Amino acid sequence: MAHDASQSVHEEITCREVVEWTSAYLDAHVGEDRKQQIALHLAACAGCGAYVGQIASVRDLVRLLPQTVDSPSESEQVRQAVAAKLRRQ
Amino acid sequence: MNAATTTRRESIGQSPRALPNTSSVPPRSLPNDEQRLLARLRQSDEQAFDELVTKHHGALIRMAMGHVGDREVAEEVVQDTWMAVIESLDRFEGRSSLRTWIFGIMIHKAKDRGVREKRHTTFSDFETFDEEQEDAVDPSRFHRSGEWAGHWAFPPQPWDDQTPERLLASQQAVQAMNRAIEALPVTLKDVLILRDVEGVEAKQVCDILQITETNLYVRLHRARERVRRAVETYLEGCQRAV
Ligand SMILES: [Zn+2]
Repeated sequence: MAHDASQSVHEEITCREVVEWTSAYLDAHVGEDRKQQIALHLAACAGCGAYVGQIASVRDLVRLLPQTVDSPSESEQVRQAVAAKLRRQ
Repeated sequence: MNAATTTRRESIGQSPRALPNTSSVPPRSLPNDEQRLLARLRQSDEQAFDELVTKHHGALIRMAMGHVGDREVAEEVVQDTWMAVIESLDRFEGRSSLRTWIFGIMIHKAKDRGVREKRHTTFSDFETFDEEQEDAVDPSRFHRSGEWAGHWAFPPQPWDDQTPERLLASQQAVQAMNRAIEALPVTLKDVLILRDVEGVEAKQVCDILQITETNLYVRLHRARERVRRAVETYLEGCQRAV
């Protein structure tokens, strides 16, 4: 499992490990040593650079995706039930 | 009102300690706009509820669907959630955000309902997911041995600055991403929708789902990777078509 802290910053990290750490890294949820280790790797590895960039894009894209199930009419029934309940309160 | 009347829902991710009934005084720990919203909700302001329901409906339904596997049942779960919100609003202590509290109630109800409706076990949503076992990325994309062991053998093809925009503009790409999200096992879908779609803080996602942060990132990353893979496949298809 990549999520251990046993590896020292001086050791090199593999692409496979960088990949496993990507989301925690993007969220700044890794320790200082690990962060440096990953940053160092990214500076020298085009593959991981592309990968981390793509995961960041995906993170931003899913928020912007048009939703088929999200139209106001879809929530109509629930909104009416809520309004009825409020009037009974 | 005393500690014993605190609902189980109120205590999600928190110690079940109740404060005196604070309906006229909004909790101080909430940001101002949330306090104003809460005050309106406590006055049974229909418009405030309407806005809130509309805002969260899509995410609530999608998450509920992951647990119950049926659109109609999901609607019921969401409706029940709002009924519970209205009933227990006076007991909401404001130690989590309103949204965290509402999604927590929904998850409880969806899980209960999902257990009762176990007949849906053939759904892909119930794919068992072993987070200790599964690699996020297909291991065959890395060198297995030798000097380059663990390094990319088949690295991702870089996207350019316009790729995200182009993806959003393509109906096919949007469909591919939405399908990948819908196909996620429920444990992955919950974290992706809360963290990335709804933008809930990592800590609050952990509270709602009762998981550790390490767990959160393992799941979140696997979910994002599956969406990334869907995009990759879509882009490969485009290239072949040229
Ligand atoms: Zn690399």
